[in-house]
Amino acid sequence: MSRLEAKKPSLCKSEPLTSERVRATLCVLKGILTSSYGPSGRLKQLHNGLGGCVCTTSQSSALLSNLSVTHPVLKILTTSVQNHVSCFSDCGLFTAILCCNLIENVQKIGLTPTTVIKLNKHLLSLCTSYLQSEFCGCRILVDFSSTQILLCLVRSIVTSKPACMLTRQEIDHISALILRAFLLTIPENTKDRLVLGKSIIVPLKGQRVIDSTVLPGILLEISEVQLMKILPIKKSDPFKVALFCASLSGDLSDTGEGTVVVSSGVSLENAVLDQLLSLGRQLVSDHIDLVLCQKVMHPSLKQFLSTHHVIAIDRVGAALMEALSKVTGTQPIGSLGAISPSSYGSVKDLCTEKFGFKHFLHLLPNEATICSLLLCNRNDTAWDELRLTCQTALHVLQLTIKEPSVLLGGGCTETHLAAYIRHKICDEPESILKDDRCTQTELHLLTEAFCSALESVAGSLEHDGGEILTDMKYGHFWTAQPESPSVVNWSDLLSRCGCGLYTSQEELHWSFLKTTHPPFAPQTCLPHEAVGSANNLTLDCFTAKLSSLQVAVETANLILDLSYIIEDKN
Amino acid sequence: MAAAGSAKAALQVAEVLEAIVSCCVGPEGRQVLCTKPTGEVLISRDGGCLLEALHVEHPIARMVVACVSSHLRKTGDGAKTFIIFLCHLLRGLHAIPDKEQDSLISPNIQTHRRHWKNCCQWKFISQALLRFQTQVLDYIMGHYLSKHFLSVFSSSTKERTLCRSSLVSLLEAYFCGRVGRNHHSFISQLMCDYFFKCMACESGCEEVFEIVDDYFVELSIGVAGLPVSDSRITAGLVLHRDFSVYCPADGDIRIVLVTETIQPSFSTSGSEFILNSETQFQTSQCWIMERTKAIMKHLQCQNVQLLLSSVKQSDLVLYYAGLNGISVVECLSSEEVSLIQRAVGLSPFVLPHASSQYEICNTALMKFCKPLIFRSKRYVHLGFIGTCSFIPHCVVLCAPVQGLVEQHKNALRGAFKMLRQLFKDLDLNYEIQASDQNCTSSPLTNRNSRESKPLPENGSIQSPCQGTVVKNKGKLATTEAYLKVYSNLVVPSIDLETYTPCSTPKGTPTDTYQTDETRRCLVKTRTIDDSEPFTEDNSANSTTGNTRIEISCENLQVTKIAGKGSKLPVREKSLEMCTSHSQCCSSIPAGCVLPVGGNFEILLHYYLLNYARKCQQSEETMVSMVIANALLGIPQILCKSQKGNYSFPHMYVRALHALQTNQPMVSSQTGLESVASKYQLLTSVLQCLTKILTIDLVINIKRQPQKVYDQDSDEEV
Repeated sequence: MSRLEAKKPSLCKSEPLTSERVRATLCVLKGILTSSYGPSGRLKQLHNGLGGCVCTTSQSSALLSNLSVTHPVLKILTTSVQNHVSCFSDCGLFTAILCCNLIENVQKIGLTPTTVIKLNKHLLSLCTSYLQSEFCGCRILVDFSSTQILLCLVRSIVTSKPACMLTRQEIDHISALILRAFLLTIPENTKDRLVLGKSIIVPLKGQRVIDSTVLPGILLEISEVQLMKILPIKKSDPFKVALFCASLSGDLSDTGEGTVVVSSGVSLENAVLDQLLSLGRQLVSDHIDLVLCQKVMHPSLKQFLSTHHVIAIDRVGAALMEALSKVTGTQPIGSLGAISPSSYGSVKDLCTEKFGFKHFLHLLPNEATICSLLLCNRNDTAWDELRLTCQTALHVLQLTIKEPSVLLGGGCTETHLAAYIRHKICDEPESILKDDRCTQTELHLLTEAFCSALESVAGSLEHDGGEILTDMKYGHFWTAQPESPSVVNWSDLLSRCGCGLYTSQEELHWSFLKTTHPPFAPQTCLPHEAVGSANNLTLDCFTAKLSSLQVAVETANLILDLSYIIEDKN
Repeated sequence: MAAAGSAKAALQVAEVLEAIVSCCVGPEGRQVLCTKPTGEVLISRDGGCLLEALHVEHPIARMVVACVSSHLRKTGDGAKTFIIFLCHLLRGLHAIPDKEQDSLISPNIQTHRRHWKNCCQWKFISQALLRFQTQVLDYIMGHYLSKHFLSVFSSSTKERTLCRSSLVSLLEAYFCGRVGRNHHSFISQLMCDYFFKCMACESGCEEVFEIVDDYFVELSIGVAGLPVSDSRITAGLVLHRDFSVYCPADGDIRIVLVTETIQPSFSTSGSEFILNSETQFQTSQCWIMERTKAIMKHLQCQNVQLLLSSVKQSDLVLYYAGLNGISVVECLSSEEVSLIQRAVGLSPFVLPHASSQYEICNTALMKFCKPLIFRSKRYVHLGFIGTCSFIPHCVVLCAPVQGLVEQHKNALRGAFKMLRQLFKDLDLNYEIQASDQNCTSSPLTNRNSRESKPLPENGSIQSPCQGTVVKNKGKLATTEAYLKVYSNLVVPSIDLETYTPCSTPKGTPTDTYQTDETRRCLVKTRTIDDSEPFTEDNSANSTTGNTRIEISCENLQVTKIAGKGSKLPVREKSLEMCTSHSQCCSSIPAGCVLPVGGNFEILLHYYLLNYARKCQQSEETMVSMVIANALLGIPQILCKSQKGNYSFPHMYVRALHALQTNQPMVSSQTGLESVASKYQLLTSVLQCLTKILTIDLVINIKRQPQKVYDQDSDEEV
């Protein structure tokens, strides 16, 4: 009996952003996100009252996936950030904070949503076209002849995740490992299209971070019992490998839709086992040294193979199949007989290794773009955080290969961009005023809101109460130690700007970021020699940052445009 | 419990709906966030979607929502305007009867009686509305408004060619009401590109619409997490799944489509396979293996490089496919299969039963096939070469959140629906009450009546009527006789006696059959019956109209008499009219558009007012006035936020001035909108309103809905 129940009418609320509750919750969310931002961000400990392990993190992906937001407006914001992170891995917190700042600032000035949305779009297009232009003052073209910039990029990412709990030395080690792992995935000789390989992260918890390492090829974890069976083999020529995707368990495969009648006394299991053993004989006669199976292998077959000095490893899993097929150069075999010799592959070397308390079978490829990143960290939560960081860094490197430029990090891009926009609007407002029916005052109010939203994202990098400044030449971001005496000479107190490109020894003038200062044209066209000399820059991924800027403004526009919320209460 | 189903209650309901809907109307409209019980968040500006999401409880509101959705099914556009227009109509109606009521009903009458009296009045009004919709509206549309129509087809050449710039402005105006403020120009460009890329030739646009409408889910890919500006169009088809086996290949790629498993199984459904020994089992397995191998080998020999399968294939098939360099995509949905069949003309490959050599004829060629990655999800990208008028293209829609992707998807789909409607002719079935002055003398004098007919000017409807009331007993008798002849074709319940065709011929006669000059005019018949409404004969005459026009070709005399007080539907497409030299069009031709921003409403308002002034019946005047004024509600809302010269009073005065002085109307907007959809909207609203007005009581039943048992349910027990 089906139960009939009338649908409840929905709840309809108008002007959601004006409600006090939404403002308060938005403010709380912003507080959580800003306090986690940057290398000196505070860590958040998330524990679910209903169970699960405690998670210590400062990354947006971990934070937002564990937080449960109920208000629809916040849900829009968080899903937007999560979607961005799933596309680019990086700049999640930047997106979220910028979006919150924009909403907050726009609400303060009280313009109509129509005007705000139109102008926001114009300002955004100013930003994106400047960042993509040749004379952009905060973009560096990546020189692939040296690893310096890529290493800086990776180091910036690793540094910005304090929950990994790494020392300076460990940061250097991990950054180098990530870059090496990435470089191993680049094929040596490519034709027209570059197809990157894969870095497989192998967990090893409870070890020192310094013990982490990168190995070419694949590490297959094996139990100690299996290890005993594998006799040390010494061979000069390559090892021949067969990779099965079909089950070798001896189960009867699908017999079709009709019925199969088996006469008594006929044992199909025996028949299948016979078939498996004949397969084994074929493998032995084909001089196979290693048999890998995605699924389960029948014990008798295993026994048979090991007596013929063939290493047999089963339950490899579907996730590793593609990499294994690439490393060995095999065609995954889906047949129990009549195997074509062309589907066999080979590896250069095969050895057993022990890392920590785990035993691995190491498949060394002849020539392949697969490598294993053996990642160690002291405890589970720190390891999880480190794994996320490594995945982010690897993804960012891939994005950088596609679009070979990086942006200055450490808040410098944000302040520089804000200075550029302010100057541009002050200088030539006609371009925007012309086609939109809005006044000059509205434009200036909104520009201020937009730029200060950008600047306060940069300002969120400072968590220790230090002074936040910007210089009047490059528009870069500077922080000073807290509790500094009211000095006149800033150049003594400051050392380097946020990204590390400029030192305070130049003839610069500083101004507090929060105070209003007259618009100035920040110096565009980054000098090439300046980039070459600096070796410890903080950098951001260009593609991810550009997209996150767009997503943040679009999401803010969307939220500001909401006039009603209809909640289905069924 | 019963509640009065008055127009007042309906007005209250409509006003609530209007408040929600009006914030999303037009280019200045804002977004509404809908949450689903599943936790999904949807962003929408689509009126139909919002009304559905509200789950309204009030019975009248539910009726209104049902009316809106049935209108949307037809046209795919105009839900918000529907509500606003309905609300304004109700407001107008609510304001008018109050005056009349005072004169009609003495104040000491019980309220209960007054209610019934009210209902009676509403019923009259609803009948008048229906009459207006069937008679007046089409006429005004065809006669006055048509001269203002623009077309999306460029008129320079003889055959219609679609003008790209007008299509862009049409789409832009459409998307202004559908997607976020920042995205409408981008989305409309995208849609326009998509449309032109998919269309192989101009004549095949109907097929393109059909395919896109049917398979929009398969032709669009949503990617959440990217900025909207990353949306694009890709050539070929994108399947929402990954390759099972991928073998890179260059050049033209030959494909086959299978709908069954290639590997033979032990037994097919309904059959029995008897195993008597282990060797038998092994040999049959060997045979299966060999057979699969042979089929795959054969496919390779035929240069097949891609196998599309609607079912899951076994590991064995995938293995041999890999060995033979054949890529495989499995588990295609039935929609994908039928799309491929339609777009490429590829029919499924039937496995041969004999193992002899055979030629595979069901193959198609493709330019490329490669994996495509969006948001770390893999898709299959196939470069099909379309064989019909549809060139396969996919649209990739990006947005920061899934809700926005859905909004854009729905808007694109709706736009295709709108275009499909636009490219169809819409017939206006308006009726003319033809009457001939000469008939008044005698039916026998019809022969020479042609010469004596005055030849009026085209705009003669506005001219005062010249007819005189002449009663002719003999003629009356004939008319009645004819009417009785036709009455068997008609709803039999019509009381012909109440209808006295002693008409007052007003205006000028029509001669559609014999003279070269064709003109139409509206002649009003006034019933002499004192208080009887003359609604009954409308339906009768309109249904018989067609038969009469056929007869009229053969026998002029009959027509002349029958034409007295009857209405003949005049269509441009009817043969008589096509041969004759017609000056007015009586259908809305395909591709008719008007500038957005209330142009249609103001035009119709103006002509309705003019019409109302000449009307002599108070009811008709009243209805026309109410509708004319309600029409202004839409431009009012559209111009709400505009200031100065663009504000509504300014615009209204300018438009009226332009119309009075016969100057072209200048619009500040560049967008265009379809006339046909506006017209359909108007008729749907009027129908909905008549429905509302005819209800007098709403009875609330608090009981589980009773099950309706089928006749044959006993057999099941």
